[in-house]
Amino acid sequence: MANYLSLEFARSGPMLLAEARGKGRWATAERVLKTMKPEQVVDEVKNAGLRGRGGAWFPAGIKWSFMPKEPKGPSYLVINADEGEPGTFKDRQIMEKDPHLLLEGIAIACFAMRAETCFVYVRGEYLSSLVALETAIAECEQAGLLGDDALGTGRRVRVLAHRGAGAYICGEETALLNSLEGRRGEPRAKPPFPAVYGAFGRPTTVNNVETIANVPFILERGVPWFRSMGTQGAPGNILYGVSGAVENPGIYEGPLGMTARAVIDQLAGGVKAGRKMRAFIPGGASTGFLPPGKLDVVMDPDALKKEGTMLGTGGIVVIPEEVELLDALRVLSRFFRHETCGQCAPCREGAAWSDQIVGRFQRGEGSGDDFALLNDIMRGSKSRTICVFPEAFAGPLGSALVHFKGDFEKSIKPASPSAPQGTAVHG
Amino acid sequence: MSGASARPGQPGEDATPPEPLLRELEALAARYPTKRGGLLLMLHRLQEWRGWIAPADMRRCGTLTGISAAEVFSVVSFYTMFRTRPGARFPIGVCRNIACFVQGSERVTRALSEKLGCEPGGMTADGKFSLQEVECLGSCGSGPCLEIDSRYFENVDTDKAGRIVDRLARSDGDATEAIEEAAKAARQ
Repeated sequence: MANYLSLEFARSGPMLLAEARGKGRWATAERVLKTMKPEQVVDEVKNAGLRGRGGAWFPAGIKWSFMPKEPKGPSYLVINADEGEPGTFKDRQIMEKDPHLLLEGIAIACFAMRAETCFVYVRGEYLSSLVALETAIAECEQAGLLGDDALGTGRRVRVLAHRGAGAYICGEETALLNSLEGRRGEPRAKPPFPAVYGAFGRPTTVNNVETIANVPFILERGVPWFRSMGTQGAPGNILYGVSGAVENPGIYEGPLGMTARAVIDQLAGGVKAGRKMRAFIPGGASTGFLPPGKLDVVMDPDALKKEGTMLGTGGIVVIPEEVELLDALRVLSRFFRHETCGQCAPCREGAAWSDQIVGRFQRGEGSGDDFALLNDIMRGSKSRTICVFPEAFAGPLGSALVHFKGDFEKSIKPASPSAPQGTAVHG
Repeated sequence: MSGASARPGQPGEDATPPEPLLRELEALAARYPTKRGGLLLMLHRLQEWRGWIAPADMRRCGTLTGISAAEVFSVVSFYTMFRTRPGARFPIGVCRNIACFVQGSERVTRALSEKLGCEPGGMTADGKFSLQEVECLGSCGSGPCLEIDSRYFENVDTDKAGRIVDRLARSDGDATEAIEEAAKAARQ
């Protein structure tokens, strides 16, 4: 099936407005805003079965339908461009190569949700994305595509680019909203959900960049076209990221439902010549490690859930044999320890303790009691915090304990009769 | 790292932002539904100008957004990109996360550490370079990746890292321009 999201990715810089219009950008938004009703747009996206590409895979049309139909005051669309999940680098491609695709999707989504303002939260490090986006927004305002009279419809659609400042947790949607408001990026307790009380206390929907980039095509080509790709539960194409020990690392568009093996072998040229695979991460750091025996898993949110993991962002990382599994795990446990926001004790302490224990195993100083301790940490923090960060750090840890237990077992320090027994973790 | 001086040509700790920047800060406060919404962008602009965020900047942001300087500091301290001390002229951050790690980022960090004569987390004696290991930069398909002042250098091996440092070491003009030039040269 033909690609549609990635057609401009080979460019060296962003496609500017004149060329973008020649490629059909903005034509669908113009037709939608001039001839459709907001409810019809929501129904199209719902019927297409578009699911959120930020990692949670929540149905986008259903999310949109939570927004007030007769808003008393402003509603907001917020685009999550805080791409920070290790192994994920797809949204950057859209913003840096085809920013008008994102902006056209934003105009349609704002119309569908009766929002007049959209904030695009770009991660602080993505300066190139921010510049490309700001240039594209200025072009659109100049041309009357965005602004107080967007596309000559009398409707107001304003897009404001916002810049984060370096915090993984701001990818969590309520932390992102706090950060947008000029606060510490700490997640909010839910309910109330953003559709009721979101950015600046107003009804808000937060969507991922790639999710919104699908919207113009759905409205242009229709539901049957979109559903002809991908799986029944998750239609459409996805931007797979492939990195690590492969021949051709990069972003590859393909239908949802390919096997991880096909993505690695057919799209990314296979495991790097002369190397062997020790493990792979199916969809970003928090989805954990799978052994090569699981390469035929289907890249579909529901299929991977059955495997005890997640599709996440679709960012596959191939770990070669010369990298020890415990070393790879430590990279991630250190990351999660660094990135916990510290608000909730089970997460703050759990991320730090599990990193220390993984460090002990890494040095060959693990103990048999540590297995129970690690499981306690994961069980004791899951669903006991404001957001799902403990589930994120339990992804690599839990999967390593299931699929690579032998690596831990051979890193247990032989018992010495004179050494004191115990489970102290500081050290 | 304390005690280091600001970059050459950059304003000192007590300098007042110039008029155009002050007007820009006010415009940022007016850009969002609440004044406080502009805080992150204000802090970025002040850091670009001064090279770091001084106590006076936090007081100013507090006045502009209607919150206390202490609350501004609580925001500043949350985000890794904000510096509350003068930084090096060329702050080098090497990604240490999984995709770059698998592709040899540790070797790049070691080579830079030896070449610069400073440990990760430290700064060279002349204040020209600092070296830090950072988390995922979103360049997983072109790692190892390093960043210098939000400019990315991709597919970096030990040789390329050395060439980047050599080029920057020769520069004594505008730091941002030097980084841009080094980035251009590194891409070729």
